Amino acid sequence: MSSATYPAPADLLWEITRNNTSFLVKRKTAGGIKLSRDPLNLRNVHSRKHSGAVNDQAIGVVPSDKGGISLLTKKKSGATITHSYKPSKTSRKSYLHIVNSTAKKGYRPDLRGDAVARASALIRSYRKPVKQTPEAQPRGAKAKKNAAAAAAADL
Amino acid sequence: MTAVKHVPIVKKHKKRFNRHQSDRFMCVAPSWRKPKGIDNRVRRRFKGQAAMPKIGYGSNKKTRHMMPSGHKAFLVHNANDVDLLLMHNHTFAAEISHAVSSRKRIEIIAKAKKLGVKVTNPKGKVTTDV
Amino acid sequence: MTSVPQIQVFSVEGKADSELPLPDVFRAPIRSDIVQTVHAGMAKNKRQSYAVSVKAGHQTSAESWGTGRAVARIPRVSGGGTHRAGQAAFGNMCRSGRMFAPTKVWRRWHVKINLNQKRFATASAIAASASQPLVLSRGHRISSTPSIPLVVASSALPDLAKTRAAVALLKAVGAYSDVVKVTKSRKLRAGKGKLRGRRHRQRRGPLVIYDPATDGKLLSKAFRNIPGVETCPVTALNLLQLAPGGHLGRFVIWSSDAFKALDSIYGTSTSPSSTKKDYSLPSAQVTNPDISRLINSSEIQSVLRAVKGGAKSKRAGGQKKNPLTNRQVMLRLNPYAKGYAAAKLGQAKYKEGKPERADASFHNVLKSA
Repeated sequence: MSSATYPAPADLLWEITRNNTSFLVKRKTAGGIKLSRDPLNLRNVHSRKHSGAVNDQAIGVVPSDKGGISLLTKKKSGATITHSYKPSKTSRKSYLHIVNSTAKKGYRPDLRGDAVARASALIRSYRKPVKQTPEAQPRGAKAKKNAAAAAAADL
Repeated sequence: MTAVKHVPIVKKHKKRFNRHQSDRFMCVAPSWRKPKGIDNRVRRRFKGQAAMPKIGYGSNKKTRHMMPSGHKAFLVHNANDVDLLLMHNHTFAAEISHAVSSRKRIEIIAKAKKLGVKVTNPKGKVTTDV
Repeated sequence: MTSVPQIQVFSVEGKADSELPLPDVFRAPIRSDIVQTVHAGMAKNKRQSYAVSVKAGHQTSAESWGTGRAVARIPRVSGGGTHRAGQAAFGNMCRSGRMFAPTKVWRRWHVKINLNQKRFATASAIAASASQPLVLSRGHRISSTPSIPLVVASSALPDLAKTRAAVALLKAVGAYSDVVKVTKSRKLRAGKGKLRGRRHRQRRGPLVIYDPATDGKLLSKAFRNIPGVETCPVTALNLLQLAPGGHLGRFVIWSSDAFKALDSIYGTSTSPSSTKKDYSLPSAQVTNPDISRLINSSEIQSVLRAVKGGAKSKRAGGQKKNPLTNRQVMLRLNPYAKGYAAAKLGQAKYKEGKPERADASFHNVLKSA
């Protein structure tokens, strides 16, 4: 999708979308936190810097099928380009792809760390847990007594 | 999943602030109302009277809204809401909204486990044996 | 002045076949504050009056008993022989009393909005509908749409009479995913509105704007049963449709004739409108709204004075580091520290044990003084 109109400046767009947009998720807990569902938002925070819809240049890292990740960037016309990376043995290769095609080229170098961090978090989420969570131990005299009684009943 | 290191959480007043004389009358509910009377001894802060809430009891900004685990709660209604916390799993924990069915709770918990997000109420409606 | 952008026109099959210049109304300033106030006013203009009966709560001859009867001085129903006698009346706190400040039919239901303001808001909403970020932020699904603003060739529209053909058109231009969003969003309304003809609530989909003179009226019938899709003639654009809820960025599908007609309806930067008397388009107070670019321009930077007091955040000698905790800084200050640590000289005394105790003669000398 492209847009060939007179582009509205990012500052104006941010002022319009700051208080209300379809991406915004507000919660009353934690002092009124504001998060964003924008796929082009690396940290999911609703802010001028991280907003994907508003900025001329924005980076997104989203999961793609088969355990890979996709890098989203924005063209000048507003269209989103997707590069998909297959899962590689070393996650460092994915980070290198991301950094080389964005921050290294001067495309939003301020988001370098965030892009790598998000890719890293996504790759980590694909992994199977190394350590199983230990089973909960009964706490307190009553619970222990119940557990012992249950074990005795099984025998 | 563990919270980031933070300064110790200090609650300056752990007890609730109960309304003056709510202990004496059934018709006076304990929910706090500031005494306004001209002779009121609580308002005038006499010795031995109940303490009134004031701004000084506020928590350190760094630990405000924090649970003992060091996370802040974020209410989630579906598995997509958990995605928002991918980059915040050290600062926020998901809290499943009360009206979510047990079938969807399992989806939410599975997603949260995948993304390394702590769920504050994972047992609600999910564990069956009493 | 920059050249006028050319907008692609898509056929009913979804292929780009020609181009049209962008009408000047799309250069109108985007003013969400004006759109919101005008929308708030216009939304009120369809209201019907309602009120409680003027008699409600006053159909009794209650009088106050006055003081001295150890009851409140509220008016009380006179008479006897029924439970109603002696009960309080009239007051808003009374059972079967009138409400507080009973509603009146002569409430100010409708709001007059200045015509120029309404036109400003409409022009502003049209301009915002061409901004891809704003359409996205309004929640429209436009990822498969080839272009924003989306213009469809008028040639086949007069024959577009069937909803099936309308759906095919929406699918061809990538607008159907927005309809799917609407269909999925249909929910039962909360509250009493359910009983009052507003049973369901759903999102708004694309708005199809056509030219009634050439596109004909069949089109609106073809589209009217598709959830969320609305149609509107370009000659009577409605802010309530262009910016629902006062939120800018409605997804608009223009017919090419309607798109062409915008220049004559709203006028251009050089010629006034042909249909609106004495109307010319609003222009922005600041011609370049990109403020950061203005501030960082060489013209402005060259006339600014230097920052007073200099930068405050930097220390003269870089960041101070504590040599007691930072080993590298310690080694820079005291090269001997390495050898000292390696030989464990700092612990030497401790290993030797306690020093020998001085004998009694020493203590005698010490205390005799």
